[in-house]
Amino acid sequence: MTAAESASAETDPAFAEGKYVYCIIRNDRSREFGEIGIGSGARVYTVSHKDLAAVVSDTPIVIYDPTRENVLAHEFVNETVMREFTLIPMSFGTIFRSENDVKALLNSTYQAFTDVLDKMQGKIEFGLKILWDRDLVVAAIERDNDEIRRLKDEITRNAASSTYFARMQLGRLVEAAMEEASNRYVNHIHEQLKEVSVASRSSKVIGDRMILNAAFLVERKDEKAFDEKVKTISLQYEDLLTFKYTGPWPPYNFVNIKLKLEKAT
Amino acid sequence: MGLLTNILLAPFLGPVWGTKWTLEKVDRVVRDQLTDDTPVKEDLMALQMQLETGEIDDDEYVRREAEIMQRLREVREWREKFGMSTSGGPVRVAESGESE
Repeated sequence: MTAAESASAETDPAFAEGKYVYCIIRNDRSREFGEIGIGSGARVYTVSHKDLAAVVSDTPIVIYDPTRENVLAHEFVNETVMREFTLIPMSFGTIFRSENDVKALLNSTYQAFTDVLDKMQGKIEFGLKILWDRDLVVAAIERDNDEIRRLKDEITRNAASSTYFARMQLGRLVEAAMEEASNRYVNHIHEQLKEVSVASRSSKVIGDRMILNAAFLVERKDEKAFDEKVKTISLQYEDLLTFKYTGPWPPYNFVNIKLKLEKAT
Repeated sequence: MGLLTNILLAPFLGPVWGTKWTLEKVDRVVRDQLTDDTPVKEDLMALQMQLETGEIDDDEYVRREAEIMQRLREVREWREKFGMSTSGGPVRVAESGESE
Protein backbone atom coordinates (compact mmCIF):
# COMPACT_ATOMS: atom_id res chain seq x y z
CA MET A 1 0.00 0.00 0.00
CA THR A 2 1.56 3.29 -1.05
CA ALA A 3 0.82 6.78 0.15
CA ALA A 4 -0.72 7.66 -3.21
CA GLU A 5 -3.21 4.81 -2.93
CA SER A 6 -4.08 5.62 0.64
CA ALA A 7 -4.63 9.26 -0.25
CA SER A 8 -7.41 8.39 -2.70
CA ALA A 9 -9.74 6.63 -0.28
CA GLU A 10 -12.69 6.56 -2.66
CA THR A 11 -15.91 4.88 -1.65
CA ASP A 12 -16.51 3.25 -5.00
CA PRO A 13 -18.69 0.26 -4.01
CA ALA A 14 -16.83 -1.89 -6.52
CA PHE A 15 -13.73 -1.62 -4.35
CA ALA A 16 -15.53 -1.53 -1.02
CA GLU A 17 -14.62 -5.06 -0.11
CA GLY A 18 -13.09 -4.45 3.32
CA LYS A 19 -14.75 -4.00 6.71
CA TYR A 20 -13.78 -1.02 8.84
CA VAL A 21 -14.36 -1.94 12.50
CA TYR A 22 -15.37 0.83 14.94
CA CYS A 23 -16.13 -1.06 18.13
CA ILE A 24 -17.35 -4.28 19.74
CA ILE A 25 -20.71 -4.48 21.52
CA ARG A 26 -22.90 -7.13 23.08
CA ASN A 27 -25.88 -7.68 20.79
CA ASP A 28 -27.20 -10.84 19.16
CA ARG A 29 -29.44 -9.29 16.53
CA SER A 30 -28.30 -7.37 13.49
CA ARG A 31 -28.48 -3.62 13.82
CA GLU A 32 -28.20 -0.62 11.51
CA PHE A 33 -26.75 2.68 12.68
CA GLY A 34 -27.33 4.77 9.54
CA GLU A 35 -25.08 6.12 6.80
CA ILE A 36 -22.52 7.74 9.05
CA GLY A 37 -19.40 5.67 8.34
CA ILE A 38 -15.88 6.75 7.50
CA GLY A 39 -15.36 7.68 3.82
CA SER A 40 -18.36 9.96 3.06
CA GLY A 41 -21.14 8.27 4.96
CA ALA A 42 -20.90 4.53 4.46
CA ARG A 43 -23.68 2.36 5.92
CA VAL A 44 -22.86 1.28 9.48
CA TYR A 45 -24.12 -2.14 10.58
CA THR A 46 -23.20 -5.11 12.75
CA VAL A 47 -21.38 -8.39 12.12
CA SER A 48 -22.38 -10.87 14.83
CA HIS A 49 -20.85 -13.90 16.46
CA LYS A 50 -22.82 -15.49 19.30
CA ASP A 51 -23.89 -12.59 21.56
CA LEU A 52 -21.07 -10.27 20.43
CA ALA A 53 -21.16 -7.92 17.47
CA ALA A 54 -18.63 -5.78 15.66
CA VAL A 55 -19.91 -2.43 14.40
CA VAL A 56 -18.54 -2.04 10.86
CA SER A 57 -18.89 -0.29 7.54
CA ASP A 58 -17.74 -1.34 4.07
CA THR A 59 -14.52 0.27 2.91
CA PRO A 60 -11.92 -0.05 0.20
CA ILE A 61 -8.70 -1.62 1.49
CA VAL A 62 -6.80 1.57 2.24
CA ILE A 63 -4.83 3.18 5.03
CA TYR A 64 -6.85 6.01 6.54
CA ASP A 65 -4.82 9.03 7.60
CA PRO A 66 -5.80 10.23 11.07
CA THR A 67 -7.07 13.56 9.70
CA ARG A 68 -9.60 15.49 11.71
CA GLU A 69 -12.31 14.51 9.21
CA ASN A 70 -11.54 10.78 9.45
CA VAL A 71 -11.07 10.75 13.21
CA LEU A 72 -14.35 12.61 13.70
CA ALA A 73 -16.16 10.10 11.47
CA HIS A 74 -14.74 7.20 13.52
CA GLU A 75 -15.64 8.99 16.73
CA PHE A 76 -19.16 9.94 15.59
CA VAL A 77 -20.02 6.29 14.94
CA ASN A 78 -18.82 5.31 18.42
CA GLU A 79 -20.80 8.16 19.99
CA THR A 80 -23.92 7.03 18.17
CA VAL A 81 -23.49 3.39 19.22
CA MET A 82 -22.71 4.46 22.76
CA ARG A 83 -26.15 5.99 23.26
CA GLU A 84 -27.52 2.44 23.42
CA PHE A 85 -24.62 0.11 24.10
CA THR A 86 -21.57 -0.37 26.24
CA LEU A 87 -18.75 -0.64 23.73
CA ILE A 88 -15.09 -1.56 23.36
CA PRO A 89 -13.53 0.92 20.95
CA MET A 90 -11.16 -0.36 18.24
CA SER A 91 -8.07 1.61 17.27
CA PHE A 92 -8.55 4.10 14.50
CA GLY A 93 -8.02 2.66 11.03
CA THR A 94 -8.57 -1.04 11.77
CA ILE A 95 -9.74 -2.82 8.60
CA PHE A 96 -10.44 -6.49 7.96
CA ARG A 97 -10.62 -8.02 4.52
CA SER A 98 -13.93 -9.81 4.97
CA GLU A 99 -16.88 -10.47 7.24
CA ASN A 100 -15.36 -13.85 8.03
CA ASP A 101 -12.16 -12.22 9.25
CA VAL A 102 -14.24 -10.03 11.57
CA LYS A 103 -16.05 -13.10 12.91
CA ALA A 104 -12.69 -14.79 13.45
CA LEU A 105 -11.70 -11.81 15.63
CA LEU A 106 -14.91 -12.08 17.70
CA ASN A 107 -14.43 -15.81 18.04
CA SER A 108 -10.74 -15.79 19.00
CA THR A 109 -11.11 -12.89 21.46
CA TYR A 110 -14.57 -13.85 22.72
CA GLN A 111 -13.62 -14.29 26.37
CA ALA A 112 -11.54 -11.13 26.69
CA PHE A 113 -14.20 -9.01 24.97
CA THR A 114 -16.90 -10.49 27.22
CA ASP A 115 -14.89 -9.82 30.39
CA VAL A 116 -14.16 -6.22 29.43
CA LEU A 117 -17.76 -5.55 28.38
CA ASP A 118 -18.89 -6.83 31.79
CA LYS A 119 -16.39 -4.58 33.51
CA MET A 120 -17.31 -1.52 31.45
CA GLN A 121 -21.06 -2.09 31.65
CA GLY A 122 -22.77 1.23 32.28
CA LYS A 123 -19.54 3.25 32.46
CA ILE A 124 -18.46 6.20 30.40
CA GLU A 125 -15.31 8.27 30.09
CA PHE A 126 -14.76 11.99 30.45
CA GLY A 127 -11.68 13.91 29.43
CA LEU A 128 -10.30 16.79 31.45
CA LYS A 129 -7.44 18.96 30.30
CA ILE A 130 -6.36 21.85 32.46
CA LEU A 131 -4.32 24.76 31.19
CA TRP A 132 -2.86 27.60 33.14
CA ASP A 133 -1.77 31.07 32.29
CA ARG A 134 1.85 31.30 33.43
CA ASP A 135 1.74 35.07 33.96
CA LEU A 136 -1.30 34.84 36.22
CA VAL A 137 0.22 32.00 38.21
CA VAL A 138 3.50 33.85 38.62
CA ALA A 139 1.60 36.94 39.80
CA ALA A 140 -0.34 34.85 42.33
CA ILE A 141 2.89 33.28 43.57
CA GLU A 142 4.58 36.65 43.97
CA ARG A 143 1.59 37.83 45.93
CA ASP A 144 1.37 34.83 48.25
CA ASN A 145 4.97 33.75 48.76
CA ASP A 146 6.77 36.01 51.24
CA GLU A 147 10.28 34.92 50.37
CA ILE A 148 9.75 35.48 46.66
CA ARG A 149 8.05 38.82 47.20
CA ARG A 150 10.90 40.03 49.41
CA LEU A 151 13.57 38.94 46.98
CA LYS A 152 11.74 40.54 44.09
CA ASP A 153 11.26 43.83 45.92
CA GLU A 154 14.93 43.86 46.77
CA ILE A 155 15.95 43.28 43.17
CA THR A 156 13.58 46.01 41.95
CA ARG A 157 14.83 48.48 44.57
CA ASN A 158 18.47 47.90 43.83
CA ALA A 159 18.07 47.35 40.14
CA ALA A 160 21.56 48.52 39.33
CA SER A 161 23.42 46.67 42.05
CA SER A 162 21.32 43.53 42.32
CA THR A 163 23.42 40.59 41.52
CA TYR A 164 23.10 38.02 38.83
CA PHE A 165 22.97 35.52 41.68
CA ALA A 166 19.91 37.15 43.25
CA ARG A 167 18.08 37.02 39.93
CA MET A 168 19.03 33.39 39.43
CA GLN A 169 17.85 32.67 42.93
CA LEU A 170 14.52 34.35 42.24
CA GLY A 171 14.08 32.39 39.01
CA ARG A 172 14.74 29.12 40.80
CA LEU A 173 12.34 29.94 43.61
CA VAL A 174 9.58 30.91 41.20
CA GLU A 175 10.14 27.76 39.15
CA ALA A 176 9.91 25.57 42.26
CA ALA A 177 6.85 27.42 43.54
CA MET A 178 5.16 26.91 40.17
CA GLU A 179 5.80 23.20 40.22
CA GLU A 180 4.50 23.04 43.76
CA ALA A 181 1.39 25.02 42.73
CA SER A 182 0.76 22.77 39.75
CA ASN A 183 0.95 19.66 41.94
CA ARG A 184 -1.28 21.25 44.54
CA TYR A 185 -3.97 22.20 41.98
CA VAL A 186 -3.86 18.80 40.30
CA ASN A 187 -4.05 16.89 43.58
CA HIS A 188 -6.86 19.06 44.87
CA ILE A 189 -8.86 18.56 41.66
CA HIS A 190 -8.19 14.81 41.58
CA GLU A 191 -9.26 14.53 45.19
CA GLN A 192 -12.62 16.14 44.52
CA LEU A 193 -13.31 14.11 41.39
CA LYS A 194 -12.44 10.83 43.09
CA GLU A 195 -15.78 10.87 44.90
CA VAL A 196 -17.76 10.83 41.66
CA SER A 197 -15.62 8.60 39.44
CA VAL A 198 -14.58 4.94 39.35
CA ALA A 199 -11.04 5.43 38.10
CA SER A 200 -8.77 7.99 36.48
CA ARG A 201 -5.77 7.90 34.20
CA SER A 202 -3.33 10.70 33.46
CA SER A 203 -1.57 11.10 30.13
CA LYS A 204 1.40 13.19 29.10
CA VAL A 205 0.56 16.88 28.98
CA ILE A 206 0.49 18.58 25.58
CA GLY A 207 2.32 21.88 25.17
CA ASP A 208 3.73 24.06 27.95
CA ARG A 209 0.46 25.52 29.24
CA MET A 210 -1.14 22.21 30.23
CA ILE A 211 -0.85 20.92 33.79
CA LEU A 212 -3.33 18.05 33.61
CA ASN A 213 -4.39 15.70 30.81
CA ALA A 214 -6.60 13.10 32.42
CA ALA A 215 -9.43 10.70 31.68
CA PHE A 216 -12.06 9.70 34.23
CA LEU A 217 -14.20 6.58 34.21
CA VAL A 218 -17.67 7.38 35.50
CA GLU A 219 -20.81 5.37 36.17
CA ARG A 220 -23.57 6.50 33.83
CA LYS A 221 -25.80 7.16 36.82
CA ASP A 222 -23.15 9.51 38.23
CA GLU A 223 -22.78 11.48 35.03
CA LYS A 224 -24.70 14.44 36.38
CA ALA A 225 -22.85 14.46 39.69
CA PHE A 226 -19.51 14.37 37.87
CA ASP A 227 -20.64 17.18 35.62
CA GLU A 228 -21.64 19.33 38.57
CA LYS A 229 -18.37 18.63 40.33
CA VAL A 230 -16.30 19.71 37.34
CA LYS A 231 -18.33 22.92 37.14
CA THR A 232 -17.85 23.63 40.85
CA ILE A 233 -14.10 23.05 40.61
CA SER A 234 -13.73 25.19 37.52
CA LEU A 235 -15.41 28.04 39.41
CA GLN A 236 -12.96 27.64 42.30
CA TYR A 237 -10.08 28.14 39.87
CA GLU A 238 -11.84 30.51 37.52
CA ASP A 239 -9.14 33.17 37.61
CA LEU A 240 -6.14 30.88 37.22
CA LEU A 241 -7.00 27.84 35.15
CA THR A 242 -8.77 26.98 31.93
CA PHE A 243 -10.74 23.74 31.92
CA LYS A 244 -11.23 21.71 28.72
CA TYR A 245 -13.88 19.22 29.60
CA THR A 246 -15.04 16.65 27.02
CA GLY A 247 -17.27 13.60 26.83
CA PRO A 248 -18.96 11.32 27.38
CA TRP A 249 -16.53 9.12 25.45
CA PRO A 250 -16.26 5.38 25.08
CA PRO A 251 -13.74 4.10 27.67
CA TYR A 252 -10.72 4.66 25.39
CA ASN A 253 -8.28 5.02 28.25
CA PHE A 254 -9.55 2.15 30.37
CA VAL A 255 -9.70 -0.71 27.88
CA ASN A 256 -6.48 -2.39 27.02
CA ILE A 257 -6.89 -5.63 25.11
CA LYS A 258 -3.86 -6.62 23.11
CA LEU A 259 -5.31 -8.07 19.93
CA LYS A 260 -3.17 -10.63 18.16
CA LEU A 261 -3.52 -9.32 14.66
CA GLU A 262 -1.25 -9.57 11.66
CA LYS A 263 -1.10 -7.79 8.33
CA ALA A 264 -3.49 -9.24 5.78
CA THR A 265 -1.80 -8.26 2.53
CA MET B 1 43.16 -12.88 15.47
CA GLY B 2 44.35 -11.82 18.89
CA LEU B 3 44.57 -8.43 20.47
CA LEU B 4 48.23 -8.19 19.54
CA THR B 5 47.53 -8.67 15.86
CA ASN B 6 44.97 -5.95 16.00
CA ILE B 7 47.38 -3.60 17.64
CA LEU B 8 50.16 -4.47 15.25
CA LEU B 9 47.98 -4.02 12.25
CA ALA B 10 46.24 -1.05 13.73
CA PRO B 11 47.14 1.42 11.01
CA PHE B 12 45.35 -0.78 8.52
CA LEU B 13 42.56 -2.33 10.53
CA GLY B 14 41.92 0.54 12.89
CA PRO B 15 40.30 3.00 10.56
CA VAL B 16 38.19 0.32 8.93
CA TRP B 17 36.87 -0.85 12.26
CA GLY B 18 36.22 2.68 13.39
CA THR B 19 34.31 3.57 10.30
CA LYS B 20 32.19 0.47 10.44
CA TRP B 21 31.32 0.99 14.08
CA THR B 22 30.41 4.63 13.51
CA LEU B 23 28.32 3.85 10.47
CA GLU B 24 26.40 1.23 12.36
CA LYS B 25 25.75 3.66 15.16
CA VAL B 26 24.70 6.43 12.81
CA ASP B 27 22.56 3.95 10.94
CA ARG B 28 20.86 2.96 14.17
CA VAL B 29 20.15 6.54 15.23
CA VAL B 30 18.89 7.58 11.80
CA ARG B 31 16.76 4.49 11.57
CA ASP B 32 15.20 5.08 14.99
CA GLN B 33 14.37 8.63 13.99
CA LEU B 34 12.92 7.70 10.64
CA THR B 35 10.68 4.99 12.06
CA ASP B 36 9.37 6.65 15.23
CA ASP B 37 5.98 8.30 14.78
CA THR B 38 5.66 9.39 18.42
CA PRO B 39 6.92 12.97 17.84
CA VAL B 40 4.67 13.31 14.80
CA LYS B 41 1.64 12.21 16.79
CA GLU B 42 2.58 14.60 19.58
CA ASP B 43 2.76 17.41 17.04
CA LEU B 44 -0.72 16.48 15.83
CA MET B 45 -2.11 16.59 19.36
CA ALA B 46 -0.38 19.91 20.03
CA LEU B 47 -1.82 21.29 16.79
CA GLN B 48 -5.30 20.28 17.83
CA MET B 49 -4.78 21.95 21.18
CA GLN B 50 -3.69 25.16 19.44
CA LEU B 51 -6.89 25.13 17.39
CA GLU B 52 -8.99 24.56 20.50
CA THR B 53 -7.39 27.41 22.41
CA GLY B 54 -7.74 29.71 19.41
CA GLU B 55 -4.00 30.17 18.87
CA ILE B 56 -4.42 29.20 15.21
CA ASP B 57 -7.37 29.42 12.84
CA ASP B 58 -8.95 26.71 10.77
CA ASP B 59 -6.96 27.43 7.58
CA GLU B 60 -3.70 27.21 9.49
CA TYR B 61 -4.87 23.95 11.06
CA VAL B 62 -5.72 22.38 7.71
CA ARG B 63 -2.40 23.43 6.23
CA ARG B 64 -0.32 22.07 9.11
CA GLU B 65 -2.41 18.92 9.40
CA ALA B 66 -1.54 18.13 5.76
CA GLU B 67 2.18 18.45 6.59
CA ILE B 68 1.82 16.16 9.58
CA MET B 69 -0.08 13.54 7.54
CA GLN B 70 2.76 13.62 5.02
CA ARG B 71 5.29 13.01 7.81
CA LEU B 72 3.19 10.12 9.14
CA ARG B 73 3.11 8.53 5.70
CA GLU B 74 6.87 8.90 5.41
CA VAL B 75 7.40 7.20 8.77
CA ARG B 76 5.06 4.40 7.70
CA GLU B 77 7.00 3.93 4.46
CA TRP B 78 10.31 3.73 6.32
CA ARG B 79 8.83 1.22 8.77
CA GLU B 80 7.70 -0.90 5.85
CA LYS B 81 11.16 -0.68 4.27
CA PHE B 82 12.75 -1.88 7.50
CA GLY B 83 10.13 -4.63 7.83
CA MET B 84 8.63 -3.15 11.00
CA SER B 85 4.97 -3.24 12.00
CA THR B 86 2.71 -0.39 10.88
CA SER B 87 -0.70 0.72 12.04
CA GLY B 88 -3.68 0.95 9.70
CA GLY B 89 -4.42 -1.13 6.64
CA PRO B 90 -5.96 -4.59 6.51
CA VAL B 91 -5.39 -7.02 9.39
CA ARG B 92 -6.58 -10.46 10.43
CA VAL B 93 -6.35 -12.64 13.51
CA ALA B 94 -2.81 -13.99 13.73
CA GLU B 95 -2.36 -17.67 12.91
CA SER B 96 -1.56 -18.56 16.50
CA GLY B 97 -4.38 -16.21 17.44
CA GLU B 98 -5.56 -17.42 20.81
CA SER B 99 -7.15 -14.81 23.04
CA GLU B 100 -5.35 -13.64 26.12
